[in-house]
Amino acid sequence: MTNLSFRYGRRDPWVLSDAGLALRPGDVTEILGPNGTGKSTLLRLLAGLLRPVEGTIEDRPGVVGYAPERFPAAQPFTVAAYLRHMAAIRGADPRRIGEWTERLGMDHLMSHQLPDLSKGSAHKVGLAQALLCEPGLLILDEPFAGLDAATRAELPTIIGEVAASGGIVVASDHQGELRALPGLRRHEVRDRTIRELPGNSAHDIADVTAAIAHGVPARNGTTQDDAGLRITAQDAAGSADDSQAVTVLEVAVSTSRAQELADRLRAEGHVVRIARETAE
Amino acid sequence: MIALVRFRLAGYARSHRALQPLIGLLPLLAILYATPVPAGEELGAMADSAGILLPVFAWAARGLLDSEPDEQRMISIVAHRRGELLSGLITACVFDLGLTVIAELALLARLSANPGIGAIMVGVCLHLFSVLAGVALGALTSRPILPSPAVSSLALILGYLAILLISASGARWLTVPVMSWMKDGHHDVLLGHLPLLAVQSLIWPLVGLAAYGWLRRTRP
Repeated sequence: MTNLSFRYGRRDPWVLSDAGLALRPGDVTEILGPNGTGKSTLLRLLAGLLRPVEGTIEDRPGVVGYAPERFPAAQPFTVAAYLRHMAAIRGADPRRIGEWTERLGMDHLMSHQLPDLSKGSAHKVGLAQALLCEPGLLILDEPFAGLDAATRAELPTIIGEVAASGGIVVASDHQGELRALPGLRRHEVRDRTIRELPGNSAHDIADVTAAIAHGVPARNGTTQDDAGLRITAQDAAGSADDSQAVTVLEVAVSTSRAQELADRLRAEGHVVRIARETAE
Repeated sequence: MIALVRFRLAGYARSHRALQPLIGLLPLLAILYATPVPAGEELGAMADSAGILLPVFAWAARGLLDSEPDEQRMISIVAHRRGELLSGLITACVFDLGLTVIAELALLARLSANPGIGAIMVGVCLHLFSVLAGVALGALTSRPILPSPAVSSLALILGYLAILLISASGARWLTVPVMSWMKDGHHDVLLGHLPLLAVQSLIWPLVGLAAYGWLRRTRP
């Protein structure tokens, strides 16, 4: 995606301006940013649903799977009939329907009418139809919204499999469920641009499962905890405007609220490391 | 493409929306054929039927295209790109042709004399022109183009009235010549004028469908 600019109408403000994004086969990228900054618009541009006003999107894979944020459940079909139609439309093997419904824990829903489904169950149907076609590019708009714990745990594995087979996965994820995924890339949509944030490594995964920070006070732009985990000014600069100075904050928060606070700050584009729990 | 047409047709038929154009069609047929069509009036009756049913075809096309939720349309676009647009128009044509069959059967059942195969073929042609014009009008007033249901309904009605008024005026070449079908049908000159009327009847719906395709580029 090169020099891309987009707005919905001539009198509307630009949603993206001169934005760029390069994704490689096997990439899993999380799209971050506050509400209303254009994450869903970016996903629709990548899916080919919207046409850039300026700039180009090149080399989009031929098979694209798209799961919208809100699955359109107001349709007069049972789950089974809908997925059979979708398999036929995508030219997918209908036998794969059973495979995906089992993995997503929705076998028992097959005879249900779509309008009767709960939000989470309908969301699973949306995910199943997107996965049926073995996509080269999988676009997921808030894929974890409303899902039960088992499916929330399974979905990162499925996404990892799509990436392992050479597919590109792009997801907006306010829940932060993808952050344990090794090799996750993170892009923030803010101020009409797309900026790449520091991604995941195995180290980051350890951070997520670790406890609450109680680091050494910042010195020379660096805070450091006992385990040697640290946030550098360079890390943080990746999420701030180049013109802005970077400050490293040290925050103490109750254990029960730590993950929620970290997720919120990450969604706002800040670099957050959860370091360790203190006994006090 | 065929799978997408089948999906959209199934969705429309299973929803209650498919009944709406039938609710319009059946009373119209009852009024048109309350008395038998006199001998010699067959062509006029066929032209009347094609002209009067145009808004029913447009209504059905619009309802069919709008019966799919916006997010489902996006899923279909991702699956088939431009094929989504074409499949919608084909599905609308297929449904409208079903309505045409009902209308033609009702008409044939109320004829007093055998019209001959030539007159029947002219009637079929006029109904096909009407279907094409109806699909174009319905598509141009569908939700991706006119998101407001009130504006869309008004545009459909005014669009049909504009077709009638312009085709009755001296500038009838500016639209689908619906009034010319009816006048020529009742004055027994329809067969002679059919080639020119056919060109006019095809050009404007095709222009309308091309405009719909162009507008849909930025309106998924």
